[in-house]
Amino acid sequence: MNPLLRVKDLDVTYGAVPAVNRIALEVPAGEIRAILGANGAGKTSTIKAILGLVKARGTIELEGRSIHGVPTHRIHQLGVAWVPEGRQLFSTLTVHENLEMGAFVRGNGLRFASRVDEMFALFPRLRERRSQLAGSLSGGEQQMLAIARALISQPRLLIMDEPSLGLAPKVVQSLFEQIREINARGLSILMVEQNARQALKIAHYAYLFEVGRLAAEGPSVALMASEDVQRVYLGG
Amino acid sequence: MELFLQQVLNGLMIGSTYAVVALGFSLVFSVMRVVNMAHPEFFMAGAFGAFLASRYVTNNFFGVLAGGMLVAAAVGLVVERLAIRPVRGRYVMIPFIATSGVGITLQHLAERVFGSDPVAIPAVVRPASYALGPLSVTRMQLVTFAVAAVIMVGLRYYVRHTKWGRATRAVAERPEVAAAFGVDVNFVSRLTIGISALMAGAAGVTLGVLYTSAWAFMGLLYGLKSFVCMLVAGNRHIEGVMAIGLLLGVLEALVSGYVTSTLRDAVAFGVLVVVLVFKPNGLFGSYSV
Repeated sequence: MNPLLRVKDLDVTYGAVPAVNRIALEVPAGEIRAILGANGAGKTSTIKAILGLVKARGTIELEGRSIHGVPTHRIHQLGVAWVPEGRQLFSTLTVHENLEMGAFVRGNGLRFASRVDEMFALFPRLRERRSQLAGSLSGGEQQMLAIARALISQPRLLIMDEPSLGLAPKVVQSLFEQIREINARGLSILMVEQNARQALKIAHYAYLFEVGRLAAEGPSVALMASEDVQRVYLGG
Repeated sequence: MELFLQQVLNGLMIGSTYAVVALGFSLVFSVMRVVNMAHPEFFMAGAFGAFLASRYVTNNFFGVLAGGMLVAAAVGLVVERLAIRPVRGRYVMIPFIATSGVGITLQHLAERVFGSDPVAIPAVVRPASYALGPLSVTRMQLVTFAVAAVIMVGLRYYVRHTKWGRATRAVAERPEVAAAFGVDVNFVSRLTIGISALMAGAAGVTLGVLYTSAWAFMGLLYGLKSFVCMLVAGNRHIEGVMAIGLLLGVLEALVSGYVTSTLRDAVAFGVLVVVLVFKPNGLFGSYSV
């Protein structure tokens, strides 16, 4: 059976500068997979290539069908949702309008209303803030909204870029618990994280990137036990 | 006092059309980061559309209005295809120069087709004037204002309360993210150019009928003043652009009434200089390039 997402031989270059070199990764249905690595390791470039936001060479497939070269808005229609680095909410739109943008393709009406309720059940704070401008939320609330905006389209694959960035440690803890919960309901997740320790706790499998190349990969348990990984990524 | 109120009234009537043209400028800039220098020619195209419609098709004002708006929208889509789509996302001066070139071409094309003198547009609105206490207003002034008001209210509703208006705001702020949530950014761009051209075209029709003429170079000064309205207001809030358009009309009318009408066309640029010194992003804030 084909994995939900398969990336093979992925190259991304900006001008003459290679950002991603021969990357291969997969996300089987139902799993959380993490991409770990330092700044400039090519993590975000890989994600943008999958979303069709940067030009890339190589294979990108969703359930065995190539999505390479498909325009970004169509890739979303195939069930891929994105939680961008630094949230990137529509800050001049209200919380509710951001959710409406999340559901731009998958209609509105009654089903939309009930999905908004689901999101508010998942993140009760957003309900209180629903008519506030997204730009006026706290960092933690913004991350909740960024996730809700992505989930409301009921995607098959959720791509999260640095969800823990800029959040207080306590907030990060509860955020990762929520991500684990979302996954437990059946959603497949590809997550980019600098916070390797936290990410390995919830991911089934992880890829370690080093300056645009795949340095190591394996089940989280194995990676956590590996001495090299401990030394380089976990500061132990 | 009467002169003052009369000039304020006259100013609001004309200012409403500045506002409508300026809104198109700012809408296109905020969605695409393109300064569309061909925008004033949509206004000119609207006036010639009104001329053609009144000459060959109908004497009904609404028919003439629709004709002018359609001609303007057609010109708008051609400009989008020729001078905006191929250079989108490039450094801001490139679409600026490309659309300037198309704008100049359109002016000279109109001059070739219609001659270098203004052509006369018949009075498709029956001439009449009304007294409001000591003030007077012509029927065509009221029509001009009403068309602009309907457009402004309609645009505000579209941007604030419709699905595509919401998507337009989302694209204005973060085009990549909007695309990743299923918005076809190119479609929104074309839609926005089309709407801006329809609006400028409507202003061209009403001003053409008000002044009973259309002219190949009528967009130059008029468009420049509307552009100034956008710069003074900043392009972030459409209400700000509307207010500044109306205000410019009033200021010009007051200068004409109390100082001299030869200074009228300098008002906009004087205000621009002062505002840019103190608020370089405009009074109500701007999206940056």
